[in-house]
Amino acid sequence: MTSSPAFAPEPTVVIDGVSKWFGQKVAVSDLSCSFGPGLTGLLGPNGAGKTTLLRIIAGLLQPSDGSVTVLDENPRRTPAVYASVAMVPEEDAVYGFLTGRQFIRYAAQLSGSGTDRVDDMLDAVELNDAADRPISGFSKGMRQRIKVAAALISDPTILILDEPLNGTDPVQRAKLIATFQRLAQDRTVIVSSHVLAEVERMADRVLAVVDGKLAAAGDVSSIREAMSDIPYRVRVETTDPRAVAAPLISVDHVSSVEIDGPLLHVETNDLGALGRSIPEISRDTGSRVVGFEPEDESLESVFRYLVRRR
Amino acid sequence: MTGTLAIVKVTLRQLLGGRRLLVLGLLGLIPGVIVWLTTSNRSPEGVFDAYHDGGVIATLFLVVMPISSIVLGSAALGDERRDGTLSFLVVRPLPRSAITTAKLIAAWIAAATVSAMSGAFASTAVSIRASDWSTFVPTIVGLAIGAGCYTAVFIVLGHLTSKAVLMGLIYLFVWETGISFAAPALSNVSLFRIGLSAYAALVPESQSALAEPLGAIAPGVGGAVTKLAVLGILAVLATAALLRNRDIA
Repeated sequence: MTSSPAFAPEPTVVIDGVSKWFGQKVAVSDLSCSFGPGLTGLLGPNGAGKTTLLRIIAGLLQPSDGSVTVLDENPRRTPAVYASVAMVPEEDAVYGFLTGRQFIRYAAQLSGSGTDRVDDMLDAVELNDAADRPISGFSKGMRQRIKVAAALISDPTILILDEPLNGTDPVQRAKLIATFQRLAQDRTVIVSSHVLAEVERMADRVLAVVDGKLAAAGDVSSIREAMSDIPYRVRVETTDPRAVAAPLISVDHVSSVEIDGPLLHVETNDLGALGRSIPEISRDTGSRVVGFEPEDESLESVFRYLVRRR
Repeated sequence: MTGTLAIVKVTLRQLLGGRRLLVLGLLGLIPGVIVWLTTSNRSPEGVFDAYHDGGVIATLFLVVMPISSIVLGSAALGDERRDGTLSFLVVRPLPRSAITTAKLIAAWIAAATVSAMSGAFASTAVSIRASDWSTFVPTIVGLAIGAGCYTAVFIVLGHLTSKAVLMGLIYLFVWETGISFAAPALSNVSLFRIGLSAYAALVPESQSALAEPLGAIAPGVGGAVTKLAVLGILAVLATAALLRNRDIA
C-alpha cells in the first residue's frame, strides 16, 4: 500500500477509504492516501473536493464512510491533537473587530502556546505596520496572511492550508511559498490549490483530485508526464488573428485553431513549443501578440483527462 | 483556563459590539420610561402597584430580558457559524465542553448585563418615586436568572439553526405570553417564570400581584437557581455533543 505514490513513507495523516456526501452530492469518493513530512500539494479544479478533504482531515467534517487519523488519533474525538495541527481555511475565518495583533494573540491563547511570539509572527507575514488596525479594514491578501500567522503561532507539526495564496500579490506569494517550504523541512504541510503553476512551484509531491477522486499522485514531474499527451487550450490575442491562424495550424504540435474575434483558441500538446512559435509567426506576419494565456477550462480538462485515464 | 477566558472576552466583544447593543439598549430603556411616566404623583404603594401590576415587571421579564437573551444566546455560536469563524475556534486543543461553557458564560454575562441595566434603570425610577429601594436587587437577581435560562436554551438553538431568533420570538409571543397564561398548568414549561419566581420570593409583597403570571410556579430563589444550573449543564453537554458530532461548514 505504501509503495503507491498516493502514500507517504512516514505518514502523519492517513486517509483510508474516505467518502463524503452532502445529500445527493458526492464530494469525496472512496479516497485513500496519506501525508507525511514535506510539502504536499493538493491540486484540483474548483469543486473537486479539495476543501472537503482538508476539512475532513482537520476534523471539521465527519466522513460519511472511511476513516482519517492525524498523528494516530481521530481529531473529532481527541481535540488534544490540535496542539500539533493548524489549519488556514479558504474562507475569511477572522474576527473583523479584532486587530491583527489581537487575533494572533487570541489564536495563541486558544492553542495554549505562549503569546511571546506574536510579534515574530507579524514579522513573518509582514503585517507589523497594520498589526493594530481592525482586521475588517484588511485587504484579501492581508487577511490571508494574518490567518497564516495565526496558524503558525502554535508551531504546529501539521499545517493544513486551503488555497492560502488566494488574493495575495506576486511578491507576497513568493514569500509565503518560501515560508511554507521552510516549514515543510521538518513538518507535514498540505497546501491545496487549483493553480497548477502554484503547486508546481512549491510542492515536492502532488495529489491531484478531481470529482472527489484521487486522479494522480506523485512528484511534479510524474504528474506533468501524465498530462503530456493531452492538448492544452491556450488563448492568443493578436492584432491580426487570421494572419496568425494560418501558419499556426500548420505547426506540428498544434492540433486546432479557432478564430473568435481578436482571439485565437489554440489546442496544443506542447505548451512550451507553442510559446516559442508564436513570436516567430508574429514577426513573420507583421502582427502583434497582445495576450497569451492558458484558458481556465484547460486545467479542468487536464484533471478530467487524468480521471478518465485511471 | 487561558483559552476559556479568552473565548469569554472575545465573545463579549462580539456580542456587545455595534448596532446590536444599541438596539437592545434602547429596548432596555422602555420599562424605566414607563415607570417614570406612569408613577408621578403616586403614593409609594401606588408606585409599587404600577411596577408590579402596571406592566413594568411584565415588560422587563416578558419583553426586555427574553428578547435580549434570545438574541445574544443565539448569536454566541450562531455568529461564529455565520462568519465562518467556528472552524477557527474548534481546531484548538480545547475540550468541546470548555468552548461551550465559555460561550454560555459570555452570552449569559451579556444578556444579564443588558437585562440588569434595564431592570436597574426601571427599579431606580421606582425607588426614587417611592423612596424605597427594596425592588432594586431582586429585579436584577430575577432578570439575571431568567437571562441565564434563556441563553442556555438559545445557545443550543443558535448553533443548530440560523432561525433561532425567529423561533425564540414565536416561543415568547405564542407560548410564554399566550398559551402558558391561558393554561396555568403549563406554566412549568416556561423560562421567564423561573426568573420571576426568584423576584417574587425576594419581594414577598409582590406575590399577590404576580400570582397570575407565575401560575403553578411557587416563588423561590433556590428552585430558580437549581433550574438555571440544570439548564446550563444540559446546554453545555448538548452543545458540546453537537460540536463533536455535527459537521462544521
